[in-house]
Amino acid sequence: MTAAEPWPENATLYQQLKGEQILLSDNAASLAVQAFLQMCNLPIKVVCRANAEYMSPSGKVPFIHVGNQVVSELGPIVQFVKAKGHSLSDGLDEVQKAEMKAYMELVNNMLLTAELYLQWCDEATVGEITHARYGSPYPWPLNHILAYQKQWEVRRKMKAIGWGKKTLDQVLEDVDQCCQALSQRLGTQPYFFNKQPTELDALVFGHLYTILTTQLTSDELSEKVKNYSNLLAFCRRIEQHYFEDRGKGSSSIRLS
Amino acid sequence: MAAPLELSCWGGGWGLPSVHSESLVVMAYAKFSGAPLKVNVIDNTWRGSRGDVPILTTKDNIVSQPAKILNFLRKQKYNADYELSARQGADTLAYIALLEEKLLPAVLHTFWVENDNYFTVTKPWFASRIPFPLSLILPGRMSKGALNRILLTRGEPPLYHLREVEAQIYRDAKECLNLLSHRLGTSQFFFGDMPSTLDAYVFGFLAPLYKVRFPKVQLQEHLKQLSNLCRFCDDILNSYFRHSLGDG
Repeated sequence: MTAAEPWPENATLYQQLKGEQILLSDNAASLAVQAFLQMCNLPIKVVCRANAEYMSPSGKVPFIHVGNQVVSELGPIVQFVKAKGHSLSDGLDEVQKAEMKAYMELVNNMLLTAELYLQWCDEATVGEITHARYGSPYPWPLNHILAYQKQWEVRRKMKAIGWGKKTLDQVLEDVDQCCQALSQRLGTQPYFFNKQPTELDALVFGHLYTILTTQLTSDELSEKVKNYSNLLAFCRRIEQHYFEDRGKGSSSIRLS
Repeated sequence: MAAPLELSCWGGGWGLPSVHSESLVVMAYAKFSGAPLKVNVIDNTWRGSRGDVPILTTKDNIVSQPAKILNFLRKQKYNADYELSARQGADTLAYIALLEEKLLPAVLHTFWVENDNYFTVTKPWFASRIPFPLSLILPGRMSKGALNRILLTRGEPPLYHLREVEAQIYRDAKECLNLLSHRLGTSQFFFGDMPSTLDAYVFGFLAPLYKVRFPKVQLQEHLKQLSNLCRFCDDILNSYFRHSLGDG
């Protein structure tokens, strides 16, 4: 990766259409990357495209287009930004870095998987929300075919990691356990590693904020997060500091 | 008097009480928490089931999967995490997630997918403990399951081919081992002087990798360079499993 060129002014982030198409898990991922770049003080313009998933080199959103490089997903983007000389976690010692990576895996392992389960394996949500949103940019019958194909893929993956037999209640239990762990780790600090945010803060913010502000068939998922007041304060803090203060109104839905 | 707890699991070898990671996690946790387990090793008679091992049976319950078994034991007051703070409990969950995401794919690959290892070591070992004709089918199925899991969780585009996925998962696993080594430092266990759930999980994942003799050993070689992790495994084997070592 060329570290030589500085961060250009016209760097763009691509995601699916915000209003009608993007799903919970993708929105969380996109918000995490946006938060991370804001924390690094790197300007980024968000562009919504219906075929963002297909434009991405790894098939995952979001991806960023910087200069003539295209990088997708938070992990590789963090590496890419580090190669350009910006890092949020350089000040951490080895043990702290290990902890940070472990907590990021916890979020991916539990929160992200739970979001995918809810979107694609919970019949109520699939029928009412996911199918319609996922296929919305495409004409019939493509909208149905693509939605079913994606659902089949996600269900296969769930089965391989042992989530295939879980019930919704068990998944919500897992979400609660994950939130409890995050809440205990955060404690009364402003960020996970005290005064300065790191990519872990960006990732946690992306997921929690999206869960709190997305309208689903029931409020069970967001209620699990709302049980932990320090997590709510954490999201509010990042929203105010990195999204509102900079003049970017990220979402018109407020945290209640 | 508590109902007897019986654990069905895969047997041992190479100095280990079990060569199967998940079985080893449960056995280690039981030792740490003082739970009296009667261990039933799967052999090549038709007695007992083989799927979903390890399985804990009591008078009224059948529990499978390590996380659920550990939860069950905790509810029965066999709690190895009694002394941990809330924050350490949270760290436990995070490190277990790290093990499952970053280390497990490479361990599965070393045992079940790498051809030299699978055909010369893993398959004969498991086949000798499964009754004929299931012994012809089950190891192959376990191998396909492992490959499936690796490809579905890590083999996403642009890494379509197994070879590219292999490079990535071994890189991740080595990094994970380094992180664990940094975290352990010079302590005896991950949270001070008493072993806890996290120690059980790390032991369960690392010990088979450390001890089983494989032809293709890149991950094992890396682990052997991290002397504090090797010392960790040896300490647990010597302190808790001295009297029940499996045959070589």
